[in-house]
Amino acid sequence: MNRARLLLLFGVAIHMIGCAVQGAPFERVSPPPAHAVIYVYRPYEYFGSGLKPEVTCGEDTVRIGPGGYHAFIVPADQKVTCTTHSDLAADEVEIHTSTRVTYLREDIGWGLTGVAAIQSNGQPHLNPIDSDAAQTEIQSCCVQEQPEQQTQQTP
Amino acid sequence: MDRNGIVMRCTLALTAFLAAGCAAQQSPQSQSQAQSQSQSQSQIFIEPKVAEMPAHPLPFKGRLVEGDPQEVPPAVAMSLSSNSPVTFTYREELTHDDYREPKYITAFDPATLIGSPVGEVGVTAFASLSISDGDRILGDYTAKEHVSKSYSIYSQVTHKEVDDAARAAVRRRIDEKLFSDEARLAQAVAGAGKSPTASIGQ
Repeated sequence: MNRARLLLLFGVAIHMIGCAVQGAPFERVSPPPAHAVIYVYRPYEYFGSGLKPEVTCGEDTVRIGPGGYHAFIVPADQKVTCTTHSDLAADEVEIHTSTRVTYLREDIGWGLTGVAAIQSNGQPHLNPIDSDAAQTEIQSCCVQEQPEQQTQQTP
Repeated sequence: MDRNGIVMRCTLALTAFLAAGCAAQQSPQSQSQAQSQSQSQSQIFIEPKVAEMPAHPLPFKGRLVEGDPQEVPPAVAMSLSSNSPVTFTYREELTHDDYREPKYITAFDPATLIGSPVGEVGVTAFASLSISDGDRILGDYTAKEHVSKSYSIYSQVTHKEVDDAARAAVRRRIDEKLFSDEARLAQAVAGAGKSPTASIGQ
């Protein structure tokens, strides 16, 4: 195998694994009394894998990479707003935390950049997912990510 | 051209393509451009088929025993009283059925560039209202409404706005059912304690 082919294989391998989050496998969190947990997870997808839009639930803000998840601990029996945004778009979900466990899947959709080229840096979405489907998905797809940015902590 | 040259060009092309996948966020200039495009883009919004009917108070007052007073159908909200023997029990639930076209298809589909939808946020709202007087059920109403809104690469939609539209639609539907049963309800409340009346569910 000549040098150019090796370079090609190396480049593909680096790009395919380079953007995925590394961390501990999914672990269920037991929220303290009078609190609920919102899991936000992001299955790995190559397109848009370099982007980590901020996700805020209540007073906690993190950036979740592809293949990662974060458990937000929020007060129970309240309305909690979860938001995410990129430069191009934003999404907002209102969650009633009477349900002790809620799952949101973060998904980065297509957006349009200035030079009429499609880039996967456009539209982050937070999709509410049924518990049954989400539990299977989060266990198979995602690892716990150490937050890059944590602006405020819930008490 | 020798084989090494061809392979090297392929390597460069593939690297450029892969790097695009991990691209950084775009500039604010492109953001404002895209936003102005999104404003001019019309969106497909499947409005629930709910007849417009001005909300008005019910001919009796009731006490809310379950539900948030800020999140009940308008007719119920206008008819709340803290000391009425008649009680309202209101429940609302949302289920989401979002859909997104596979990116590997939309990326190479020219229709994407001209604003064809690349996904849809869908919400179904279920609501139930029970009106009781003590152990006697005066009325039981349920409604279901589905609202969806599609988005393209130029237009965006938030879950909250679709959720809010679904909640508003299902509350209007409950109101509509209440208004069509208003006369019977008024009689049932007036006759409460005089003679037992069979409950009628809708």
